[in-house]
Amino acid sequence: MASSATATDMAATATSPARNALWRALTGRRGLGKLLLLAMIAAVLVPFAASRWGSGAWPGALTVDLSGPLGQASNWIIDNRDTHPLFLYFFGWISEGVIVAVRAVYLLLLALGWTGVTAAASLLAWRVAGLRVALTALASFAVCGVLGMWVPTMQTLALMAAAVAASVVVGALLGLAAGLSERTYRALRPVLDTMQVLPAFAYLLPVVLIFGIGVPAAVLATVVYAAPPMARLTALGLRDADHGVLEAVTSLGATARQRLLTARLPLARRELLLGFNQTIMMALSMAVIASVIGAGGLGDRVYQALSTVDVGSALAAGIPIVLLAVVMDRTTAAAGTRIGEEPSGPRWSYGWQAWAGVAAVTAAAVAAGRAASSLTWPGSWMVTIAAPVNSAVGWMTSHLYSGVPVIGGTADWAGHFTTWILDPLRSGLTALPWWAVLLIVAALAWLIGTWRTALTAAVSMAVIGVLGVWSISMDTLSQVLAAVAVTLALGFAVAVAAARSRRVEALIRPVLDVLQTMPQFVYLIPVVALFGAGRAPAVAAAVAYALPAVIRITAQGLRQVDPAALEAARSLGASGAQQLRQVQLPLARPALLLAVNQGVVLVLAVVIIGGMVGGGALGYNVVYGLAQGDLATGLVAGAAIVCLGLMLDRVTQPSSDQAGKER
Amino acid sequence: MSAPVFSVHNLWKVFGPKAKADRVPGSDAADLTADQLRKNTGCTVAVRDVSFDVLAGEVFVVMGLSGSGKSTLVRCLTRLIEPTAGEIAIDGEDVRSMDRARLRDLRRHRASMVFQHFGLLPHRTVLDNVAYGLEIQGAGKAQRRARAAEMVEKVGLAGLEGRRPGQLSGGQQQRVGLARALAVDPEVLLFDEPFSALDPLIRRDMQEEVVRLHHDEGRTMVFITHDLGEALRIGDRIALMRDGRIVQCGTPEEIVGSPADDYVRDFVRDVPREQVLTVRRAMRPADAGEADAGPALAPSTLVSDAIEAVARTGGPARVVDGGRCLGVVDHERLLAVVAGLPLTGAAA
Repeated sequence: MASSATATDMAATATSPARNALWRALTGRRGLGKLLLLAMIAAVLVPFAASRWGSGAWPGALTVDLSGPLGQASNWIIDNRDTHPLFLYFFGWISEGVIVAVRAVYLLLLALGWTGVTAAASLLAWRVAGLRVALTALASFAVCGVLGMWVPTMQTLALMAAAVAASVVVGALLGLAAGLSERTYRALRPVLDTMQVLPAFAYLLPVVLIFGIGVPAAVLATVVYAAPPMARLTALGLRDADHGVLEAVTSLGATARQRLLTARLPLARRELLLGFNQTIMMALSMAVIASVIGAGGLGDRVYQALSTVDVGSALAAGIPIVLLAVVMDRTTAAAGTRIGEEPSGPRWSYGWQAWAGVAAVTAAAVAAGRAASSLTWPGSWMVTIAAPVNSAVGWMTSHLYSGVPVIGGTADWAGHFTTWILDPLRSGLTALPWWAVLLIVAALAWLIGTWRTALTAAVSMAVIGVLGVWSISMDTLSQVLAAVAVTLALGFAVAVAAARSRRVEALIRPVLDVLQTMPQFVYLIPVVALFGAGRAPAVAAAVAYALPAVIRITAQGLRQVDPAALEAARSLGASGAQQLRQVQLPLARPALLLAVNQGVVLVLAVVIIGGMVGGGALGYNVVYGLAQGDLATGLVAGAAIVCLGLMLDRVTQPSSDQAGKER
Repeated sequence: MSAPVFSVHNLWKVFGPKAKADRVPGSDAADLTADQLRKNTGCTVAVRDVSFDVLAGEVFVVMGLSGSGKSTLVRCLTRLIEPTAGEIAIDGEDVRSMDRARLRDLRRHRASMVFQHFGLLPHRTVLDNVAYGLEIQGAGKAQRRARAAEMVEKVGLAGLEGRRPGQLSGGQQQRVGLARALAVDPEVLLFDEPFSALDPLIRRDMQEEVVRLHHDEGRTMVFITHDLGEALRIGDRIALMRDGRIVQCGTPEEIVGSPADDYVRDFVRDVPREQVLTVRRAMRPADAGEADAGPALAPSTLVSDAIEAVARTGGPARVVDGGRCLGVVDHERLLAVVAGLPLTGAAA
């Protein structure tokens, strides 16, 4: 058998040396080969497609109008929501359960009073994360009260508590299944990966379709958005558990259950807590965005204020969101890093005594609050910042918006950005023949990944066309491209500076820490204050949101370059620029590619949300669909967002090629 | 000789798709080289037709370079890796036919293992790590802690009970691993390259610890190593593996003194032979008159000690067992041992 195989090989080599040489030349430059192949396919298909359907924007002959069927479906659901057994006995129960849970948490928080909640949160933070975070928590809750946002804060907290609890349970169960069964993992992973890259807006409409606008829809959208990280990290932790330890445990005769409970889960504690942390952050982010579908609370305040360009009120509600995010992130993150540390300090400060102390002080705080009959934050301690902020914004509008000598004003910049970059980009993209767009997408995805990623990307793009939202998707795409370009240019520059200078790094690290914990929605507030409404502010918010992650990933990649390689280059007399260009950047390539991918995904998420502040395009269609009850328009836009997200992720996803090889 | 604890016959382990792997042992495919086998069947043979007995109370060392299949072999003994074909018996009981409960019982009470990378639970203290084996057997907290404390003391870690593995040095961690294995009082201790990850000096300490333990308790041990010095130092018998096969099995002296083939010869070439071989192997028949004169040595005397005796007296030394002269060693014979020359005309 072996000899015959060798003979065939030899025959093949003998008969076609020319073909082999060509093949080798092509495969030697793998990218070139792929491009040539694609060019051949294009040469056959494009003339046909162009003559049959014409060039330019997506041909009408190839679109399918879904608004009719979707509208019917949505009408059917609305008509039958109160009668059909599926709704009565399944979705109805879920909806009821969610309402009861959120209501219960909300009433509990109100019953504890502001004294009780503040004491409980600060003491919890102290136990889990130490004194500094505890003080941050104390100050944060106080600020929420002072800004007059106590009740909305409690509403958001209640919604989040219910959503996080459900997300953690769902995520942990999925993660457990995927962590223990290879088959489940393989089935689940692509789904989770994809969910991770989709903008939050894409999740809103399907939920609204079934549950209608209201708290249940908001909570469920949050659960769908926030559960994947928990599932991913649980699975990861269980699968990556030190193989040697598990083997040792087996060798001592542990049963499967003992192995899971005494070794696998404890070994995965760090990942589990990280998953919890990410789930909380995602849930907060979504709970705020879900104000569009009736979440209420802080997000709703921001949403209402932004829709009337009332920056002052938006800021008053936005600050508590940021503070909540910071407190929750620091607390859960500290829980993760503190694992395995020895308790220290006096005896009363750890163990059950400490927890008893926490309970006692909280009870005392609740009692004190009740005795003073002050359950919500006392009105006399409130400060209204909306008016002064608005007058400040007014001053800015009149003085900084335009006509500032030499540098021009912020509105001028936004205008110029729109005229000189966004508009040409958009008209360029719209003017490109549809098949050229598909080809470019396929080529990019194939160059960096496999034919499979190329196919996914091209098909996603085609689906956008078929859905009939080609031109507004091009509008969104133009904003994404502009924002990504700005993000990468700024991000790489700052990252190189941070990687080369300890001082720069120390300077920007706290800024990045705070920026990375802020929910997407909050970024809209300052850009509206600075630039007004429009497409440029949406792009600016996207840049601001994506920049921290890009800087961080790039700087980390540059700094983690093998010091031996760098030392070798230095010993050969390479200059600083040479080291950067010839050693650091090439070796940090995976990190750079990851930064691009993350940048694109994050930018898309915020560009879509930008629809709320005049960004238009797909995001606006979603908001419009929700506001007007025209779910068909919203759903089509949501589907297009999903496709756009998939396409952008695949076009920039470098890891799939290597991952494919590993498998 | 005592009865075998482990008795292994024609053991095979073939990695790969199960249906294909099961067909490899005994077929023609088994004789292919590793590369060709992988190409043809997608399988890799880790253990090939291996047979040996581990006798009660001995230290049985399996030695080989990385990839020779020794770690797979030791895992097959308690079916941490499921063997493909062959027989394994512990005290005459068939291991391969054990059901899950019996197998767990074997792992819990009869054979426990010490691992190269320790395999300690990082979230538990030293004491709880040592007590872990008893815990999964269902022992009460007080009882297992008392036993664990005793073991911690025994391996010289007294005072470190409350530490976590991450706070210990490599040598200390391996002592914890050893204490954990000892805590369940197993019949056999299995060591999988336990000291490879340690610094040379600490490795030496740990080897002595094992020799001492064996001396004190006489527990049967199966010891996997890639370090020939370690094998010679602690092994009663050594099985030398190459490409999944045992190429030679014997006492250290047999391995060094009469290598089975060129591979083994190459392997033991740099061993200081005078420190392994005894005068029993180096002696020649006594010529007339030699049987009565010169210093007397026991047959188990190392050649290095004999050199000293011969150098001091200047003449040949007698090898005497129970008053009977078995033969003599002189300058020439001893130098031949040191130089690694073939010894002709050895006395019986």
